[in-house]
Amino acid sequence: MKIDFNELTQRLQTLKANPYKIYPVTTPHTGKIVEFKVKEGMKVTGPTGKWLEKPGTPLFILEREKNLKVIRSIYNGIVENIRIELLNKFVEAQETILEIKHTLTQEEIISEILLSTLFVIKAPETARYILNPEIAKKIEKEGLGKVIVKEGTELLIMTFMKRETPIYLTEKGTFVLYRIYFKPFEIVQSNAPLIGLCPVEDLPYLERLIQKIKDEWPT
Amino acid sequence: MQIELHKAIRELLDTAEYIKDIKGQDFWGIGDLWNRIYEIYANFYDYPLEELKNYYETFKREIEQILLKAEQTLTPYEIVKIVRHPQRFTLLDILENVYDNYVELGGEGELNIDPAIICAKALLSRRVGDEIYFHQVMVIGHEKGHGEEFRRGGSATPWGNEKALRYMKMAETEGIPIHFFIFTPGAYPIEDYPGAAQQIARNLYYLSKIEVPTISFISEGGSGGAEAIGLTDFRLMAEKGYYSVISPEGAAAIEAKIPDGRPPRELIEKMAKALKLTAEDNLKLGTIDKIIPEPPLGARRKDFDFFKRLKFELIKATDQVVLQTRSMKLLRRYALSKQTTESFKYFVNWELSEDEKEILLENRWQKYRSMTQWAVLEPKSLIKSITQRSAKITQSIAYEFKYQVLKKGQKTFKKFLDELLSESSVLMKPVSDPVKSVYNLIVGKKIRPKVRALAEIDVESSVYQSPLALQDKTVTCPQADKYGCPDIWVPDLYGEFCGVCPTCGYHFPLEYNWYLNNIFDRDSVKFFNQELSSSNPLNFEGYAEKLKQARKETGLNSALLSFEAKIGGISLVAIMLVADFRQGTVGVAEGEKFIRAIELAKLTRRPFLSLVHTTGGIRIHEGTLGVVQMPRCTMAVRDYVDSGGLYIVVYDNNSYAGPVASFLGSAPYQFALKSTRLGFAGPRVILETTGQPVPPDYHSVENALKRGHIQGIWDRRELRKRLFFALLTMGGPNLYYR
Amino acid sequence: MKDRVLIANRGEIALRIMEACELLHLDYVALYTKEDEESLHVQRAPKKYRISDYRDMNDILAVADEAKCTAIHPGYGFLSENYRFARRVVKRERPLIWIGPSWEAIRDLGNKLYMKKVAHELGIPVIPGTINPLYNEIEAEFKAEELLEEVQAQGFHEVTFLIKAVAGGGGMGIEEVKNLEEIRPVFRKIRAYAKRLFGEEGVIIEVKIPKFQHLEVQILGSKKGEYVHFGTRNCTIQSPFRQKRIELAPGFCSRFNYEFDPQKVEREIIEYSLKLAKHFHYDSVGTFEWLVTPEGKYYLMEVNTRIQVENEISAKISFIRDTQVNLLKEQIRIALGDGLGYTQKDITFKGMSLEFRLIAEDTKRGFIPLSGTIQRFSYAPKPWLTLRTHVPQDKPYTIPTQFDPNLALAIIYAETFEDLLERSKAFLEELVIEGKTPKGEPLVTNIEFLKENLKYVYQFL
Repeated sequence: MKIDFNELTQRLQTLKANPYKIYPVTTPHTGKIVEFKVKEGMKVTGPTGKWLEKPGTPLFILEREKNLKVIRSIYNGIVENIRIELLNKFVEAQETILEIKHTLTQEEIISEILLSTLFVIKAPETARYILNPEIAKKIEKEGLGKVIVKEGTELLIMTFMKRETPIYLTEKGTFVLYRIYFKPFEIVQSNAPLIGLCPVEDLPYLERLIQKIKDEWPT
Repeated sequence: MQIELHKAIRELLDTAEYIKDIKGQDFWGIGDLWNRIYEIYANFYDYPLEELKNYYETFKREIEQILLKAEQTLTPYEIVKIVRHPQRFTLLDILENVYDNYVELGGEGELNIDPAIICAKALLSRRVGDEIYFHQVMVIGHEKGHGEEFRRGGSATPWGNEKALRYMKMAETEGIPIHFFIFTPGAYPIEDYPGAAQQIARNLYYLSKIEVPTISFISEGGSGGAEAIGLTDFRLMAEKGYYSVISPEGAAAIEAKIPDGRPPRELIEKMAKALKLTAEDNLKLGTIDKIIPEPPLGARRKDFDFFKRLKFELIKATDQVVLQTRSMKLLRRYALSKQTTESFKYFVNWELSEDEKEILLENRWQKYRSMTQWAVLEPKSLIKSITQRSAKITQSIAYEFKYQVLKKGQKTFKKFLDELLSESSVLMKPVSDPVKSVYNLIVGKKIRPKVRALAEIDVESSVYQSPLALQDKTVTCPQADKYGCPDIWVPDLYGEFCGVCPTCGYHFPLEYNWYLNNIFDRDSVKFFNQELSSSNPLNFEGYAEKLKQARKETGLNSALLSFEAKIGGISLVAIMLVADFRQGTVGVAEGEKFIRAIELAKLTRRPFLSLVHTTGGIRIHEGTLGVVQMPRCTMAVRDYVDSGGLYIVVYDNNSYAGPVASFLGSAPYQFALKSTRLGFAGPRVILETTGQPVPPDYHSVENALKRGHIQGIWDRRELRKRLFFALLTMGGPNLYYR
Repeated sequence: MKDRVLIANRGEIALRIMEACELLHLDYVALYTKEDEESLHVQRAPKKYRISDYRDMNDILAVADEAKCTAIHPGYGFLSENYRFARRVVKRERPLIWIGPSWEAIRDLGNKLYMKKVAHELGIPVIPGTINPLYNEIEAEFKAEELLEEVQAQGFHEVTFLIKAVAGGGGMGIEEVKNLEEIRPVFRKIRAYAKRLFGEEGVIIEVKIPKFQHLEVQILGSKKGEYVHFGTRNCTIQSPFRQKRIELAPGFCSRFNYEFDPQKVEREIIEYSLKLAKHFHYDSVGTFEWLVTPEGKYYLMEVNTRIQVENEISAKISFIRDTQVNLLKEQIRIALGDGLGYTQKDITFKGMSLEFRLIAEDTKRGFIPLSGTIQRFSYAPKPWLTLRTHVPQDKPYTIPTQFDPNLALAIIYAETFEDLLERSKAFLEELVIEGKTPKGEPLVTNIEFLKENLKYVYQFL
């Protein structure tokens, strides 16, 4: 594996020109918006704390069947485009209520760039995915970049057409599970990246690459 | 001469500093005096010797005067400060000055299993006339150190308490007495293996029946941490020591209901007073046996007279415990009264024979069994109480008869008759014919019930409707983010789902009545000792009102329900700690009810179940009267388990502190429902004590299982079935249905 | 006040419910999820709400309140046989009419073991096997031995046992055992599996019926205690996962020879079905499924407490005072409190009907469901053909991946069996369904499978 540093610098520059990502916040289900907890331009945070045990900033309250559900931010960023007219209105599921303009972090830049470097497993179908529970447990314990997978390892479980289909690693070699690009139980469009693997022998290159990004994109 | 004077002034300076620390800068000009002494001390060599001598004399007089005044105005909170002061004597000072020789075991200084716990094999000399005798003893205690950080102020880690247990066992093997020294603000509240609560419970369980004399000496007795080495035959306490259920600061934080930050100083002082934590208070409460006097404002590391006195009292206390196991009471008293600190009149051999060991254990049990009983509020008339007692004896005889007489035949029968005669002559006169009622009990009906099949039990579906279920609304599962659980309709959740999220298995809290109505056979729950109630033995301000309110809200007299019940036809005795009454905290009434319940289980050879709806620990408003429920109840547990009983604990919701570190944590079979939080101290206390935050799942049942605290994780939906199988498969042949 | 029906389902059944509502002049409101935006049921409904999931009771009820609906039709699948939902619908502070049987009936008949027990007590034949769940292997062996003796006395040879997890279903947690020695290990295996997967350890043992026809009785009961039946259906042709592919009405055909008197058997299973329905005060449409052996023995298998996919083939051959019946319309009408207005005597049967289920599935590779885009969907309209589909024919349609890839139902009617078979063949020949998978390969459907299996109609399989 070789790293094209020129190309890397170029990509970083493009990203630097517009280091934002807009995340729409949608209603998880129907209900009435009874209160907005944020105002236009307010700074919000996602979960914080050493174990992400402290929940994110409350954004709005959605009431359904007498249950007041606080919808919280899962990203850091600035609140934009609040649809204040929806206050006290009944809204459908998956309705966009506001947007969060999120400044990309070093970690996210690394993830983004690694997408083109890592061996990426893509979603074969538009479906819901979860990590194989054993691998998920290992990652919880050891963290990303530590868990080794081999050809034939069951990586993911796809819930598709009401069936659960395991997804195995078909590539020869030994890999390290380096990045996860999806959220469990959420619908992933087909061909979207699921996980990124790095061949064990390429780890040193990858570390150099990450170091390089870190140098160019300080926290 | 000059050097000695320099040193003497230095000592005055230390004393002045000490007084200043305890009493405050402004106490009778002590701050000013300290400045003056310091001025002289710092410029010592600029002054002529005569002048220095004068200064010294003046200072000394002034200090003595202030010291006297300080002693006279000593408040409980100042006592707490004395105990915590780096100049106070520590266990190592005692080992140096009281014992004649010692070898530290399990580590020295920083190289240690736990530097906060010292174990040492020591020799204690006794002069009798011209002879000197040496006693071997095991010394186990906390070492606060004089400010060394690694001692952690005498907070023992779980493995520190395990170390203590190991050397207790060694002393038992060698047959030598143990002297325990308690210098702890509390146990170090971490759950690492073997777990703070678990290890304290194990220590208590073992100490209940350790077959050597045990003496404890309390300087700083911080709640559960103190009890880990505090269940002893004789409890000494330093005059300027404190023994308390919680630190005054902790109590103030709870009373002021402030989760973070420091409570106001006045409140802390008020709490120190209210908690009745001084030696004098504790003697009055009956939680200690004797006070060892100290010099004004407490003994410090160089108060050699104090050490001398301590040595004398330790020997005397050990003698007393030993002699109590032997006959000739009068001689014993006589002998003990004639001793002086310099010389003993008698040598007492501290080794016990097998018979004496039995008496030792019996004495120990009696001592703890009667402790705090005065503080229980129990409305009773003489007739009623006698009737109850004789009824109990009648029942006891019935079971004796059934199991002993019928099994072992003639010989036992003789013994039984003797016992019957002696007992009945004293107690049974008011009752017409106890022997007849015994006969009726035995002949009248077959007691052994048939154990039914599971299918038969399951048919008994419940009609109990939880009041929580009576709302048309939905709730969100707290784990919805992680497992994608849909909102749950409340009538389903608190009805068929047993308060469990059907998607992820999260357990929502339920009211205690749910358990009473869903776990046990229909209409089989029969409460007893319901009239027993918590009183306000310390006259703790506001506590009486709080109790009154709790009684009004719950209709209960205490946080502990004791009852007889059946599961699938198997009769058992059970207790339940309920959250609704003062967060399931344990005080005198709860302790007494627990003991009576487990005694009933022992008597009737039934399994014993502790259901923990929630427990918040020992109730602080009853001070050390509450704390000693830990050893009291654990002894009862030990007695029950040793008699062949089956003791099962099931935790739900939140179970923390004292009860978990004693009568719950010492159960051989402990299970927890899925969403239980289980441990010694909550996350906030851990953060405050250790300075480290703990992960959110620190007290989870999964971790409790990993640490070996519990034997299994149960689902509330199958609680009844699980208990039924547990009753069928666990426990020995001594249970009535085996 | 005029009733307003919330249609808590998707696809073709949502369309059929709309049609029935229109026939009854009722307002209705449709539901859909993001993935279903292209579906015809969304296009057609004038009033509709987007919800998160068809299984989300909270969303459904929130919309019902918001849209001021008075009744809920659950269709089939999803929440239709969820007694907790049915109970909540009628027990909530703002109660709604549940278009289906009472929640108690759903609960009791939906619990297969309980249903079997009650049926057994009423003298209705059920598949030989244990009535109560077994929890330990000694009991299991003992019961299996008992069972073997019992069925051998009834004339069974070469008995095969089915060891089933009580909580299982759809082919999960079930295994065949040929001799008694295997009972113990297989029992343990299934019990462990059931505990792990369903959290419930109960296991039952049944005798496998080697060869049979799958017959079902269509029942309708009203809240006034009236009961009628609309004859029987034959659903023997299924996928290996026990999913129906070709259904026929009536259940027996006079053109075939039986070892028994088919009229008598039909009469008896109808009688027994009605008996059980009455016992549970069944007050809606319902289907009672039976296994009939070549010797004419029959056993009640299960009860479906909802409208069936294949209800229309019964409707095609049933006439109330010479008017063709619409079972969905009847179901809604009765739920809203109407009496039947007719008796069994008023119902006559004429002709035969067959239904094909057209599905995007690879029948040659284990019947795996397929996703993709339908680009062409055409068939020749005929007076004897009714096609039920939510797939638009004027534009490409992407099959959502969260649901079964059912594309359409084709219902064919004829006076005689010969005509029926001929028309069925003709329909399949003319039918064109073309599309692409996400990988760009041609999309496979089960048309070939249906063609091949036509020869098995009315056979014992």
